[in-house]
Amino acid sequence: MSVSVLRARRAAPAETAFRYGPVLVAAALFALPIFWVLVVSLKKQSEYSSALFPAVPQFVNYELAVVLADFGRYAANSLFLSGAYALLAVLVSALVGYGFARHQGPGRNKLFVLVIATWMVPNLVLFVPQFVLFARLGITNTYWPWILWGLSGSPFAIFLFRQFFSSFPRELDDAAEVDGAGPLRIFLQIYLPNAGPVLAASAIFMFLWVWGDWLYPALLLHQDNTTLAVRMANAYVDPRGNPLQTVTMAGVVLYVLPLILFFAFAQRYIVRGIVTTGIKG
Amino acid sequence: MAGATQVLPRSLSRPAAWRRRGVRRAITFYLLISPWLVGFVLLGALPLAGAFLMSFTNYDGLNLEYVSFVGADNYVRAVADPDAQYALGRTLLLMAVIVPIGLIVQLGLALMVNQPIRFSNVFRTIFYLPYVIPVVAAVWICKIFVDPTGGILNALIGTVAAGFNPRWLVEYPTAVLAVLTIWTAAGGGMVVFLAGLQGIPAEYREAAMIDGASRTQVARFITLPLLTPVIFFNLVTGIIVALQVLVQPMLLSPGILGLNPGTVPPRDNYFYAVHAYIEIFTKQLFGYGSALLWLLFAVVLGLTLLLFRTSRRWVFYGVEQ
Repeated sequence: MSVSVLRARRAAPAETAFRYGPVLVAAALFALPIFWVLVVSLKKQSEYSSALFPAVPQFVNYELAVVLADFGRYAANSLFLSGAYALLAVLVSALVGYGFARHQGPGRNKLFVLVIATWMVPNLVLFVPQFVLFARLGITNTYWPWILWGLSGSPFAIFLFRQFFSSFPRELDDAAEVDGAGPLRIFLQIYLPNAGPVLAASAIFMFLWVWGDWLYPALLLHQDNTTLAVRMANAYVDPRGNPLQTVTMAGVVLYVLPLILFFAFAQRYIVRGIVTTGIKG
Repeated sequence: MAGATQVLPRSLSRPAAWRRRGVRRAITFYLLISPWLVGFVLLGALPLAGAFLMSFTNYDGLNLEYVSFVGADNYVRAVADPDAQYALGRTLLLMAVIVPIGLIVQLGLALMVNQPIRFSNVFRTIFYLPYVIPVVAAVWICKIFVDPTGGILNALIGTVAAGFNPRWLVEYPTAVLAVLTIWTAAGGGMVVFLAGLQGIPAEYREAAMIDGASRTQVARFITLPLLTPVIFFNLVTGIIVALQVLVQPMLLSPGILGLNPGTVPPRDNYFYAVHAYIEIFTKQLFGYGSALLWLLFAVVLGLTLLLFRTSRRWVFYGVEQ
């Protein structure tokens, strides 16, 4: 860290400009739309199209965003659905990844190709018949589809765990086996506790997937038990039915904020989790 | 690989015990992967087989009594369907625009934040943020950004070209969608490129520099070839995602009361998956829609295989294997 700072200081002005100029411009371009949403969320509705910036920041918009939309209930729905799916999918994927990494069985490699292959099937191709199946089983409008998806694991996470566990020293297994531990116990006491970064990274991605998904809850759930994503796709309106862009943006910020804080906090973990696993195999 | 490191088992002289041990190991393996295997059969293989059968029927999603096999009619109709042809053309056009530009943006960002600069973690976070923002929020951000009455884009344009105040989502919906998808995908690709860049040993570059290679030569003959596996990975995933684009055009409607008013997106943003979605969930044509989706799958698979075929010529997989 200190080395790079020194080097940057000693560099010629032209080189410094070349190094920082483009990255600053790119960062401004990437952040501008997000910054703008924050600005709009603090405007009075009457200022929406008339003034560039709010005269007085209207923090009341955030209060309105919570009150006007039954925000808490939809947030609870999203939290439950995302949390349950992430927990199940990560644990199951870790177990299956461990099976693929450490145990032999006929057809193992072919089955692993199948794991990857399901990843390549377009989402809708798989979802349409699943939708018909869920409708036949009478479990649309419930959270069961997500539980079932969680229980069968995620191909992406299975792949990550399999790669990660393959790099574990086999001596650990042998030692545990000598001590009389079975495969499940070896998994629970050796593999799972040492999989921190990959557990964290895949749990966050699984959680994010459900929290952010709009399509499946829009098709599978109804108005009362749906998620925040579906609710947030509608604008907030005043009693006469006119759109309230400012309150809507406050709602959007509240919808995204927990994720952003979470990510800023866990970013190092995620990047490490992905990098240590490697995409080259 | 596994067998080579193992000590030869004592039971080698006793084939029956050896076989029993193999059976036990196989049972353990299948028990461990059973959650995935059961899920794969019940939620993957069987539904897919059902969807394949469905694509040869007139199934409407409701009445099983009226289902009848219509042979390859759905496929014949899909190939001749002017809406499907138009939508496929739009999708291929979108792909041809956003995949190359997206790759350049991702690589550019990775190169920028890979330099020894201050606050590089802050920059990385800024570029990564749009990638983790949920689609509903990303579309709202985009919509408010380009809004002709209260958006900052037209306000900025107004300072240089006063008369130019386009209604972006009505007049240029595909351009807006392209920028939106590039913006949201950039961070994910950047992280992969960054991992690739950091995987190149510094000695290679240093050795070339000592031999008198210029910066451009190092970039062209060292960095670029060693980066081709990562470029290939991002290219393949980019193409697969672009061909299936659905939720963003569905949500990016020009209306002001919400994102998805339940109507068809503007004609310019009528992509292939959107067409399939509308045939299935709006018109209840499950049989015909399934045929459309299998054709999409065939296109995705065909393009991917084609890329893998060409990859032998330009992707450098190293000499150590």
